[in-house]
Amino acid sequence: MHEMSLVQGLLSQLHSLAREHNKTKVISVSMDIGPLSGVVIDSFQFAFDILSDEDPLTHGASLVIESSPATYHCCGCGAKIEEEEKPEACPVCLENLLSPEGGDDIILRQVQME
Amino acid sequence: MCDSCGCDITPDHSHDPKIVEVHQSLLAANTAMAKKNRAHIEKMGAVAINMISSPGSGKTTLLEKTIEAIGDSLRIGVIEGDIETERDAERIRAKGVPVIQLTTGGACHLDAAQIHKGLHLLEKEPDGDKLDLLVIENVGNLVCPATFDLGEHHRVVLVSVPEGPDKPAKYPKAFTSSQVFIISKTDLLPYFDFPVEEARAEALQLNPKLLVMDLSATSGQGFEQWLDYLKEICRK
Repeated sequence: MHEMSLVQGLLSQLHSLAREHNKTKVISVSMDIGPLSGVVIDSFQFAFDILSDEDPLTHGASLVIESSPATYHCCGCGAKIEEEEKPEACPVCLENLLSPEGGDDIILRQVQME
Repeated sequence: MCDSCGCDITPDHSHDPKIVEVHQSLLAANTAMAKKNRAHIEKMGAVAINMISSPGSGKTTLLEKTIEAIGDSLRIGVIEGDIETERDAERIRAKGVPVIQLTTGGACHLDAAQIHKGLHLLEKEPDGDKLDLLVIENVGNLVCPATFDLGEHHRVVLVSVPEGPDKPAKYPKAFTSSQVFIISKTDLLPYFDFPVEEARAEALQLNPKLLVMDLSATSGQGFEQWLDYLKEICRK
């Protein structure tokens, strides 16, 4: 549900970038949204499609979303594991003491404008 | 007017595509404001907690009973977040502590900018600038509030017994970003299937650093641990 307000924030950032670089049209936007960010990527895309369409700066712009995996740190043995989904247990010591690190970013990586 | 497209927005703009590397969090503005809030709260001499739960988990009741039970040992101030109405603030005001109601007008979460405004309003209330503990009661929602740092020092997530024990698994972000998990309304355990130990284990699996407490604001069960925790985080 908060995807809408995040996209509103994105659009205002795109306006600042366009002013700063003296451009009037955003062609594509690339984002990195981590699996633990609490953002539903489909909802974010949906919100972007609706809101960008209403704005002359972003009308027709494409959105590319990548999702970097999270790292899990085992509080038992100290192992670091990189996985898309949280493993059931630590593959090294087999304990259930995995704590996520990162993977919660919502990063605007790159904007193509003209 | 621009020769390429006929637009008249900025006459000197060019139509050469340009790629700008940004690498900035969409939450950067919120995070920066949250940092300011944290400094502001510390300047007031207070410690802040952000309470997150679904609607109806008993945040306001827990807060009312906490204010009653803690008496003079901690000076508590409250920022209430709701979509509409002053009702929660009225309940807290009746307990004699400074309180500000923020109404989001539809938004499903509080953000750092709203808390910034709330802090300034709270300081204008009688004794609102003399606090040991600032409690921010977020909008009832177990999803969106988890994404927004408000400038709190500790985050407390509540699940009540009638909601069922599967909430940590279904709404992990609220549990991975919190320091404390409270299972509330334990006086209702005889009437609901809520295996407390299973819920505790599941939450710890998500976040091994989580402090898990079970309590009832109605019966007082488990309340000592909660009050001790609050006194501990406020100790200077």
